[in-house]
Amino acid sequence: MNKILSGKNIVKTYGIGREASNALNGVNIEILAGEFVAVMGPSGCGKSTLLFALSGTDTINSGSIQFGGKELTRLNENALADIRRTKMGFVFQQPAMLKNLNILDNIILSSVQENRKNTAGIIRKAKTLIEKTGITGLEERDITEVSGGQLQRACICRALMNEPEILFADEPTGALNSKSSEEIMDLFSDISKNGMAVFLVTHDAKVASRADRVLFMNDGAVRSELFLKKFNERDMENRVNQVILRMRDYEI
Amino acid sequence: MYRKIIINDVKKSKLITITITAFILLAAMLTSLAAILSVNLFSAINNMMLRAETPHFMQMHSGDIDMERLSAFADTENNVEDFQVLPFLNIEGAEIVIGENSLAGSVQDNGLSVQSRRFDFLLGLNGNIIYPAKGEIYVPIYYMKQGLAGIGDTITIHGGSFTVAGFLRDSQMNASMVSSKRFLINESDFEKVKKFGKLEYLIEFRLRDSSAVSAFESGYIAAGLPTNGPPAITHSLFKLVNALDDGMMIAMLILISVLVIVINFLCIRFTLLAKVEEDYREIGVLKAIGLQVGSIKKLYLAKYGAIAGTACIAGFILSLFAKEPLMENIRLYMGESGSSGLGTVFGMIGAGIIFLVVVLYVNGVLCRFKKVSAAEAIRFGASQSGAKLAKSFRLSCSGGLPPNIFLGIQDVLARKKLYSTMLLVLVISSFLMIVPQNTYNTISQRNFMTYMGIGECDMRIDIQQTEDIARKTAEIAAAMARDTDIKKYTVLTSYMFDMKMEDSTTEKLKVELGDQSAFPIEYSAGRAPQRESEIAISSLVAGDLEKGLNDIIVLNIDGQEKRLTISGIYSDITNGGKTAKAVFKTSKDSILWSIIPVKLQADAATDQKITGYKEQFSYAKVSDIDEYIGQTFGGITDAVKKASYAAIAAAAILTVLVTLLFMKMLVTKDRYPIAVLKSLGFKNEDICRQYMVRSAIVLAAGVLIGTALANTLGELVGVSLISSFGASTFRFDINPLFAYLFSPVLMAVCVYLAARFGISEISGLKISEYRKE
Repeated sequence: MNKILSGKNIVKTYGIGREASNALNGVNIEILAGEFVAVMGPSGCGKSTLLFALSGTDTINSGSIQFGGKELTRLNENALADIRRTKMGFVFQQPAMLKNLNILDNIILSSVQENRKNTAGIIRKAKTLIEKTGITGLEERDITEVSGGQLQRACICRALMNEPEILFADEPTGALNSKSSEEIMDLFSDISKNGMAVFLVTHDAKVASRADRVLFMNDGAVRSELFLKKFNERDMENRVNQVILRMRDYEI
Repeated sequence: MYRKIIINDVKKSKLITITITAFILLAAMLTSLAAILSVNLFSAINNMMLRAETPHFMQMHSGDIDMERLSAFADTENNVEDFQVLPFLNIEGAEIVIGENSLAGSVQDNGLSVQSRRFDFLLGLNGNIIYPAKGEIYVPIYYMKQGLAGIGDTITIHGGSFTVAGFLRDSQMNASMVSSKRFLINESDFEKVKKFGKLEYLIEFRLRDSSAVSAFESGYIAAGLPTNGPPAITHSLFKLVNALDDGMMIAMLILISVLVIVINFLCIRFTLLAKVEEDYREIGVLKAIGLQVGSIKKLYLAKYGAIAGTACIAGFILSLFAKEPLMENIRLYMGESGSSGLGTVFGMIGAGIIFLVVVLYVNGVLCRFKKVSAAEAIRFGASQSGAKLAKSFRLSCSGGLPPNIFLGIQDVLARKKLYSTMLLVLVISSFLMIVPQNTYNTISQRNFMTYMGIGECDMRIDIQQTEDIARKTAEIAAAMARDTDIKKYTVLTSYMFDMKMEDSTTEKLKVELGDQSAFPIEYSAGRAPQRESEIAISSLVAGDLEKGLNDIIVLNIDGQEKRLTISGIYSDITNGGKTAKAVFKTSKDSILWSIIPVKLQADAATDQKITGYKEQFSYAKVSDIDEYIGQTFGGITDAVKKASYAAIAAAAILTVLVTLLFMKMLVTKDRYPIAVLKSLGFKNEDICRQYMVRSAIVLAAGVLIGTALANTLGELVGVSLISSFGASTFRFDINPLFAYLFSPVLMAVCVYLAARFGISEISGLKISEYRKE
């Protein structure tokens, strides 16, 4: 399989002078097309920083990030925005939606921005995705009128609208109960099976166990990798145990 | 802890803190200045009037004086403390030559006077009573201010020459508004020039109880004492007239200060609302853990208290420096006030009031804290109210509207309350730009004089203050009848008639007789008199008599009482504004003055005609009507012109400043949705466009409403402004180029630039920093 995203020697420093600290300490990473990668690690280990660096939403101090044959660190703001709109999808811990718009408008917003001549087609596509994510009937609701889990599904819907090559998810289940969490993770599994890469940051071993590969980070570096593909997909308990074992090794 | 929080907060929002501080400082300074100047002005006027012993009642009279009757009256009236009759030798302007310039063009009635022996003294610039030596003359301060005379200059009056020994303060006639001016000379010189001018008398009384002056006035008139001149003037009117010029300045200061405070309130409102929104979650959390609203408010109050306190103290100190140049005029006209200490105390009180007002306002705005729901704040991090307003306007049904424009419109619809503040400022700005400009445009039109009691003509000849007015007028009229360059002229003659009041007392009324249709003026009500039984009166007379259209006025014409119906009411700024116009005939021979308005043929050279008539009839005042208008209300036109430019500048600055602050605040408030949009792949320029759309919508609405209001409601404001100097009704003459093109374009440019600058922060916002808000 082709790699779609790779980072070499990524260094990200916060603060300046004596107070400077490295959030990313020379990280190397490759993500293949359609691969589901989860990143785990203690708070402040640099997981989210890595996600923002790889997606080009934050600058880095040195290193290189290649996405779809382009060096992200050399692109200007506009080119990065174009890539975000057409090739990347984002899901955050807090459902990031505009409160002035209803659920449907939030979902179709960036697609309409991309191609406003075809609003009808976009709405049709959104309805299909809404059905798939199980939030049918909520289209006209305000974002304050639905539950956290439903809102997160809507965010996933929105992220999928432009058929991105990779979906970045920063603790997408962090604010959800275990049932909603499960349902959201089912969605992610489906997405990755359909050929979209997923880069997911999480604290939860159960969530991470859904991935093809889990990266364990500490102090701004990737300490270990766990390939879960070799384990039976149905045997969730085993997969979770594998993750937990590895977490102990690295005192996560 | 307060100190730390305040300092941190100030550091975080420097621009806004500086602006608010500057506004409070300005308001405190202006208020303090107004207070200091008011105290000084009124005590300076009191001082001057005390020293000069200004009369409590003064009646001008031209004609013979029966001293015995006056003394008898003064003896019988208990209230009279003292009385005197001062001569005032009215000299034609053309006969007073200062250096090489004559006062021929002066609109003032200039006259010579001697120093009084008992009261109503003319004072020197050091406040002392002055006694000119032979050959010396003291000149009214009005001419010093105009730069017409300097010490040592020679003044020639009817061939006799005088040396300017100094300038005088005249507690009665100091102000430029008062149309008479007294020059002071030695008594022996006065005897010599007496034969050249027209002698008038100032009949003056000092009263024991000055509050009973109106009773005294009626007594005076009832006694049938001399009243052939303008209506009597009382002590309080002298005081008012003296206060008028500088009082206007003080009123302006107060007005500006009020405006600054209003803008300041808007800024504070913006800042606080944005801050409350920013800290919504924190406030909710504080509430949730049981803190009282009062203690949260204290944090913010402490900050604004510190800012307002610093600014007010600085403003007060600055006002102490700024007062000096503004006091110069007061010192020049009125002399030292002697209460600078009291003024300073009042200044301090003024600045203190500003401090209180600001703190109270902040306290009021902070009441919003009460509305913060702890649950909502913690769950959503922002207030959810207002989000439902724009539900019917959806992207999915917007028919292919570009999302940037859609989001711009949507936001304005969803947060109407927020945008209404900016809208209000833009409406005020448009109004502020257009109304003074319209006012100026209206009064600078030539036909405006018809609103002011002057018919529209090219040239105007005044025959007054001379012997045998009737013969001279006839002489000029005869010459005009032969002049082929003259298209039209008419003779208007003014007489003083006795008017019988309802309570059978008698008052005087100046009536201008002649053909009132030849050079028509605008009537605010009714029309010009056409029959002998009709009369038109000026609005001031109408006000005094409390009479309206079709009411009856009884005049004593040639010994017979005649009832005249009021056919029209007009505004007048000439001759004190208390006049009447009629077409009846009289055989009366004591003419006050005659006027001959003239319309020249289209091809006639006005300048040459005027020069020609001036040479031919040296006793008459021949003036180019433009010059006449310039002299009569050129000062006002100039002032309004300057004010209108100042208003445009102020409106532009206001627009730029408020838009800038507003947009900055908006971006701060919207950091989270901006981050969301960026993560969705919206470019910086897309997001900027959304904000420009928002400001364009508010701008369009603001300019539209502002322009509409300016051209409707503004007319009322303009009318009240103009009516303050005489004209009661007129229509606004809107300058369409300015009102509908220049002003909106200027506003648009201001808003565009300010908004562009205000949202420049957008490109610096990082998605990663706001992902968890």
